[in-house]
Amino acid sequence: MQIEKAKAEIARLALSGTLIELVTQGVQPFALVGGIEAPSPPWDRNLYDILIAIPIAYDLGTALDGFYLGLPYKFQNGEHNRVNGQVVSVRDRDWKSVSWHYPDGKPFRLGVDNIESHIIHCRGFFLQRGAVNART
Amino acid sequence: MPGPNLRMAATDWERLRKHCAPSFRGRRDTEGGAIGLLGKRCVKNATHELIVSEIVWPEAGDVLAKPNRALTFSSRYMRRAHMAVRKKGLAGLITFHTHPRADMEVGFSFYDDDQDPLLIENLQDLWPGTLLCSVVLGKSSQQGRLWISPREQAALARLVTVGKSLRYLPLDGRPPKPAPIASEIFDRASAVTGSGALAILARRTVAVVGASGTGSLICELLARAGCRRILVIDHDIVKLANLNRILYTTKEDAELRRPKTEVLKRGIENLGLGCEVVSIVGSILDDNVMRCLNEADVVFGCVDKDYPRILLCKYAYQHLIPYIDVGAEIGGDAEGIVSTDARMNYVAPGRWCLRCTGLVNARRLAFESLTTAERKRKIALGYSDDLLLKQPAVMDLNMRAASTGMMLLRHLLQPFLLEPVPATLAENLVTYNMKPIASARCHDDACDICRVNAQTGFGDCGEPIGLPSDVAAALVSAEDDDGERMGDSCGVPVTGTRVKSHPSGTDQNLSKVPWWQEIASLPVSVFLRLWNAIGLKK
Repeated sequence: MQIEKAKAEIARLALSGTLIELVTQGVQPFALVGGIEAPSPPWDRNLYDILIAIPIAYDLGTALDGFYLGLPYKFQNGEHNRVNGQVVSVRDRDWKSVSWHYPDGKPFRLGVDNIESHIIHCRGFFLQRGAVNART
Repeated sequence: MPGPNLRMAATDWERLRKHCAPSFRGRRDTEGGAIGLLGKRCVKNATHELIVSEIVWPEAGDVLAKPNRALTFSSRYMRRAHMAVRKKGLAGLITFHTHPRADMEVGFSFYDDDQDPLLIENLQDLWPGTLLCSVVLGKSSQQGRLWISPREQAALARLVTVGKSLRYLPLDGRPPKPAPIASEIFDRASAVTGSGALAILARRTVAVVGASGTGSLICELLARAGCRRILVIDHDIVKLANLNRILYTTKEDAELRRPKTEVLKRGIENLGLGCEVVSIVGSILDDNVMRCLNEADVVFGCVDKDYPRILLCKYAYQHLIPYIDVGAEIGGDAEGIVSTDARMNYVAPGRWCLRCTGLVNARRLAFESLTTAERKRKIALGYSDDLLLKQPAVMDLNMRAASTGMMLLRHLLQPFLLEPVPATLAENLVTYNMKPIASARCHDDACDICRVNAQTGFGDCGEPIGLPSDVAAALVSAEDDDGERMGDSCGVPVTGTRVKSHPSGTDQNLSKVPWWQEIASLPVSVFLRLWNAIGLKK
């Protein structure tokens, strides 16, 4: 496997107190991150779990993009319009893919961004930035 | 049976010769030398080539040399080199020393014959299995041998230096012999590939990764240039949509779903030029297939995916192998064709990798290294459609790329092109413009592939480069799945080369269908009209 760098980043984050572990579905690796804070309301709880797909070529310089949200969830007592992708089952739980990408002018920067900064990017979805983009 | 070759970066060889040059000037009575670290390339578990991964340049007091006396390396210097071998997991050590009065021919002295077995014995006592190479340098020749144990040695066949050119120097202590007279088949080619270069090509194995449009042309060019043996690697079978550009393919091959590599083998071997083709049906992403490259002296990359390209770059630095990447791209926007590029990149020690030249794209690489299910989920989000558009492929354009790549190989064997060879050589046929791009537009001085690669020259002593077979198979089946979903888009004149990643970032209108999706879904007849209109306009 070519995700030694990803493994090392995840181990470092776990040591520093982040709820994170490496999981796989078949040969596809994911970072399972827990304890992502969200304001409630509009979200139905304060902490969420997310799943980040790690490309197998991560160590060779690939970008991370988007994430999955652990189901079930409620946003404003309904669904969030960006939680609109397909569902994956990992660790006996369903996760739905979230359309939360980097803007053109502010891409994932190779050599600068990593799993930690991508988690920060994903957090934005639960905060005002993500919430105001939701169609009500 | 010739012994193994010794391979090293041309820059290291030049620096070593410069370091030892004082031995051959003035009184010519004092030996010089240095110690290097060895990696190795194996074929079927046997050592096929040794690689000088690094030269540990001597510091003051490391080389004890007195006039008219044999040189000695200090125990501190030997220990430093030996510890580096153990720490890095390398194959062994190589010692270089001069014989100052050897002009035309050079050979090992009795002193060398006495000392080398003692050295290998000591080294193997400390670290069993360590190899020792010993090279003695004359003014214009060199001799080398490999010690496997104190009683077992083998002569090294040739020194291969890889860099701005590809040189094969004899290691038998004699100056290079005149090349044999070439067969009349090559009469008209001798101006660009003289008999010396031809003799090299006639003994070498070249790997061609990708047996489609460009790969099949490269194989043909290699065979007609006098190459002895070609390893052709591809996992795919012939399809009807390939018949527009893959040499030797027939409708029957497509109907019988014959592997592309098998068809090429049949076609090339039927030419009767004495070129043997080894067909390897498999993905280069698979480490077992990647290891087949260990038999090759040069690698041509004729693939249209970034993941194999970046792995081949890693291979090139880890094994000190020249890697010539060729490809053709047709760029378009909503108005029509804006560029038709035939491109060639040369990757070798001291040169930029394809990530630094900007050819390998992080977003595409990320997408290609996802499994089928994950790719499908990405595709469903609607922002990866540009990555799914297959590059249009036409034989005429592939030929331009293949011929540039082949000319570069001829140049490496017998230099004739203006130097330095640019990082990227691209020819835009729309604007009649040949563009040598000297700089690497995404260069990174800390690039762990081409600049500070900790495994340069390690060969098989380094980490495996390819993927485990199950992971590679999962990625290849994902590729095939994309192909089926999109259909073969050969001949579609518009590609995603100018498509932006996410048109308006996180604020995009989710319901809007991206324009490239609209173009991709146009009926063939509309495309043909668009094509004709562009043709008339031009």
